[in-house]
Amino acid sequence: MKFRSYIKDQVASVCIFFVAWAIMLIFFRAFRMGHEQIVIISVIFFLFEMLQLGLDFLRKKNFYEKLLFHSKNLNKKYLLPEMLEEPSFLEGKMVYEVLRASHKSMCEHVTMHRHAFSEFREYIELWVHEIKLPVAGLQLMVHNHPEISGKYDHQLQRIDEYIENVLYYARSENAEKDYLIKEVSLKRAVANTALKYRDDLLEQGISLKTEHLDKMVRTDGKWLEYMLGQILGNAVKYLSGEQEPEIIISAEEAERETTLYIRDNGIGISASDLPYIFEKSFTGENGRRYAKATGMGLYLVRNLCEKLGHRVNAASVQGEYTEISITFGEDEFYKKI
Amino acid sequence: MSRICIVEDDRSIREELSILLKNAGYDTVCITDFLKTKEKILEANADLILLDINLPEVNGELLLKGIRTEVEIPVIMVTSRTSEMDEVLSMSYGADDYVTKPYNPTILLLRISAVLKRASGETTKTSYRNLRVNASKGSLSDGERELILTKNEMIIFQILLDKQGRIVSRDELMTALWDQEEYINDNALTVNISRLRSKLAELGLENVIETRKKQGYLLV
Repeated sequence: MKFRSYIKDQVASVCIFFVAWAIMLIFFRAFRMGHEQIVIISVIFFLFEMLQLGLDFLRKKNFYEKLLFHSKNLNKKYLLPEMLEEPSFLEGKMVYEVLRASHKSMCEHVTMHRHAFSEFREYIELWVHEIKLPVAGLQLMVHNHPEISGKYDHQLQRIDEYIENVLYYARSENAEKDYLIKEVSLKRAVANTALKYRDDLLEQGISLKTEHLDKMVRTDGKWLEYMLGQILGNAVKYLSGEQEPEIIISAEEAERETTLYIRDNGIGISASDLPYIFEKSFTGENGRRYAKATGMGLYLVRNLCEKLGHRVNAASVQGEYTEISITFGEDEFYKKI
Repeated sequence: MSRICIVEDDRSIREELSILLKNAGYDTVCITDFLKTKEKILEANADLILLDINLPEVNGELLLKGIRTEVEIPVIMVTSRTSEMDEVLSMSYGADDYVTKPYNPTILLLRISAVLKRASGETTKTSYRNLRVNASKGSLSDGERELILTKNEMIIFQILLDKQGRIVSRDELMTALWDQEEYINDNALTVNISRLRSKLAELGLENVIETRKKQGYLLV
């Protein structure tokens, strides 16, 4: 706030001052006062007016400059009212009150939504547990009647996968920490996932090979199995008709980190699509041409990886292969415990 | 015959589970009323308990803790709670295994038989007729000759031997193989079985593995 712009703003009061001074001069003339007296009184009059404007300017400048400064530099601008002190002048007080009131109401609003969101999420978790019961019941029934098995089994597995997607989507979008990091055997995680997708893999005639998997990584076992499931599911979906389908899962240990590679010899991903495959709702050429894709699978993988502190990467040559890798960090601190 | 106590509040799952276990040759006891659950479980005098976590009146994890303070019966938690946290908690309270719903019934049976085997301290059978089975070496011998089996053949033979006299489905064999990280396909299973047959024949045991159409195999 500059003094000049302040004066411009105060133009009305300055005008009134000059009018008052002019009226005063007329009266001085009428009473035939001497020049010296007029000058002295006018100077005093001017000085007091200046003083009044100056003081007012300083008070306002103090408050408004702080206000402008914070509103420019805060990255969470809604915290602005927290940064201000209550000013001493009326106008400032009013602004301050209004800011605080709107801040408070916004806080309440956000809290309400946060609450509603977390309640919704809790309900999703509950719902997932509930819906799993009839699915488990059906799965047992189907198993107990082998004459109807095959087809039904497959549909039930699909239902289960879709349910898992909801659960992990809810988990990945939430700031809450509901994973547990511990030592997990890559071999075991891969075996559990492979068992789950066995029918799909065999039906498509895919051979699954594993190499150097006898390693331990620090992760949440359940989340890892889910992510592996998504990646295997993609490999099963995008087969190339030309070669004997094959998935190779291998691991490599480097200094302070271990990387898990899942490589298939399917249709691959075009170079123009490759940078976007982890984006939400991205389906790309393959998703449109070959299979109904939602663009959620790899997005969830990346999201979950980020939460767990892993890195996920993709490499591919169209028509040759796709290779997804997950890199797990090693932490000496945890190892000692 | 091992007796398994099913603690599950969902009626249809409970009944189907009971059918599944009976078909697999186990005796079952179901808890249907969840007042004084712990006492009822202990009264059942089972060899293994399948325990759900979400039960009326009582939490399965606490129930497990209570059971553990009194007896050493093996317990498998069977639940729709899929978080690592629940699994770790259950295991720390003394569960022997943790299976999440919905489960592949074959895998559940595999886990049950593994836990039962571990708990009874009984190692897998080491002899079949006049043959000695050496699992660690992966060999069969009749005293004079010794034949080496591949890892896959050994896994198959052990399962058939454990369930001697009962039909073992191809699904069960495949599940066991995949569970032990042997990701073979259907053809490879057929090949492995015929190799196993010819190895057994070499040791003088012809036609001991019978094929039952659409059902599976049987070691007589």
